[in-house]
Amino acid sequence: MKSTWFFIRKELLESWRNYHLLIIMIVFVIFGIEGPLMAKLTPDILKMASGSGFSIKMPDPTSIDSWQQYYKNMTQIGIYVLVVIFSGTVSGEVSQGTLVNLVTKGLPRYSVIVAKYIVTYLQWCLAIITSFLISWGYTAYYFPDNKTPNIWLGLWPLLIFGLMFVAITILGSTLSTNNYGGFLISVIVFIGLTLLNLFKDSKRYNPIALVTDNMSLVKGTEKISHIMPAIWITIFSALVIFYLSILLLRRKKL
Amino acid sequence: MNNADIITNNLPLFIPLILLEVGLDVAALIHIFRHKNYRMGNRILWVLLTLFLNPLGAILYFIIGRETY
Amino acid sequence: MAILELHDVKKNFGDKQVLKGLTFEVPEGSIFGFVGENSAGKTTTMKMILGLETIDSGQILIDGKRVHYGNSLINRMVGYLPDVPKYYGYMTPKEYLTLCGQLTGISKNDLSDRIEKMLKIVDLPINKHRIHGFSRGMKQRLGIAQALLNHPKLLICDEPTSALDPIGRSEFLNLLTSLKGETTIVFSTHILTDVERISDYVGILHDGVLKANDSLDNLKTQYAKSQIIFEFISEDTAEKAAQILGKNSHNNQKQVILNYTGDYQIIAETVLNTLLQSHLIPISMNRQKTNLEDIFMEVTA
Repeated sequence: MKSTWFFIRKELLESWRNYHLLIIMIVFVIFGIEGPLMAKLTPDILKMASGSGFSIKMPDPTSIDSWQQYYKNMTQIGIYVLVVIFSGTVSGEVSQGTLVNLVTKGLPRYSVIVAKYIVTYLQWCLAIITSFLISWGYTAYYFPDNKTPNIWLGLWPLLIFGLMFVAITILGSTLSTNNYGGFLISVIVFIGLTLLNLFKDSKRYNPIALVTDNMSLVKGTEKISHIMPAIWITIFSALVIFYLSILLLRRKKL
Repeated sequence: MNNADIITNNLPLFIPLILLEVGLDVAALIHIFRHKNYRMGNRILWVLLTLFLNPLGAILYFIIGRETY
Repeated sequence: MAILELHDVKKNFGDKQVLKGLTFEVPEGSIFGFVGENSAGKTTTMKMILGLETIDSGQILIDGKRVHYGNSLINRMVGYLPDVPKYYGYMTPKEYLTLCGQLTGISKNDLSDRIEKMLKIVDLPINKHRIHGFSRGMKQRLGIAQALLNHPKLLICDEPTSALDPIGRSEFLNLLTSLKGETTIVFSTHILTDVERISDYVGILHDGVLKANDSLDNLKTQYAKSQIIFEFISEDTAEKAAQILGKNSHNNQKQVILNYTGDYQIIAETVLNTLLQSHLIPISMNRQKTNLEDIFMEVTA
């Protein structure tokens, strides 16, 4: 367990010195500002586009528009940013041979996966939560309505989905020999889950519900109990995929 | 209502956004000019992307353009 | 006592058997030169010793403890220097060595002193420069520092000199020699002069087994080919001399090569007398010593 801790510190240093933490934070902070900004600007932009001759009746933007934009960013581009940055985390080390030395020094192979998983997930959580708080602050300031009563209820399914998706990213990276392969595997899984959602019956069980139903949860039109099966399946899948990555690295030639 | 109004009406939103993007661009440009080799692309490409594709250019540079070691 | 033992170790890659029952021991405190052609299986053997490669059958013991694939605890007694070590370029040497030291279980109090001492030994500066700016030679020296960091009982070097220039090579060999007594060294190479220069024992890997395994002196006596080579002023004289010296000799252009057994002093005296009587004066005369290359050629032939 001590080795895992030392490797976690190495991963943190790596993320800091390779600008990964900086990039992911900046991108997500921009997302946090963008949500309320887009909600605020959309009527103005439409007004300008339509010209002065007509005056269209535009409903005033509400906190719903603001949060909608936030979750759209988090669950689409946000996911891809995560994959792009971290899809080379295992494959890069294996192809460069940097692990050989450390393994012969006594680093257990499972420590590599455990540490990378924890550090990646923590960075992503930090980014998401920072972005969430920024969005929250602006939304409360510009749109002080009560149309979004359960703001936290939208966030935590997203965080649980991250548990599984970080595991998929790590597994993809362990499976492939370069970071494009890892990127492709993760994206295919994400698209596959989205397609699976076309079957109405599977919706309650599909992990993708955790990143598609956020607004209904926030507005209060859907209860969390509705997607509870999907939440449990996500947590279980996360554990299985995580364990698979450990098994895979154990067999991998370094 | 014109462009300038839109910005002045929403200063609390625009100021941090602009600061972030300018900061990111400056950081990327400094990094680009202090390094000779890139994982892909060349110096001119990355400078142009950083300047004209905001903020994606700088982000792309840090993720896939910067030489990793 | 043997620090490293291999018993009937076999290894297949697909249907190709690379190691066909490799057996040898390395005595504690010695320098063992592991020689063989490219792709003879030297690197595979070393990776198996380090637990980086599965062992198909047979067993490997380090200090009496059996090595298993992926088991890293025995590794803490072993130092490993790959031919081209790979590092995290964003770290300083000190940070990298700290990570290595932590993983190998050196206590926090000793680690900092130990690192500074190692960096001094390999002549790397202690500053904030990161590894990605290092030259190949500097990386190799850092490699030695990391390999020796944990006072290994056994040091494994895989073709350590192949990436170095002549001066770097010479310095490196001196460093290895200076470690004698502190640690046991196994190093693979195809540069035979390196082996001849520093190793006590030589193992020649050929065709999946160890064809020869002995001290260098013993090998030399065992495979000794005693020869004297005379050179004459012309091919004519060389031919005459060869005729006079009989069937143990043959001429090759201006040279005459004489095979002999027994004491050099006595043989040389009689031969020289014979030549003098026929007024055949050689312009040079050399006693040929067996070198590792001859032995290698003979063993692998």
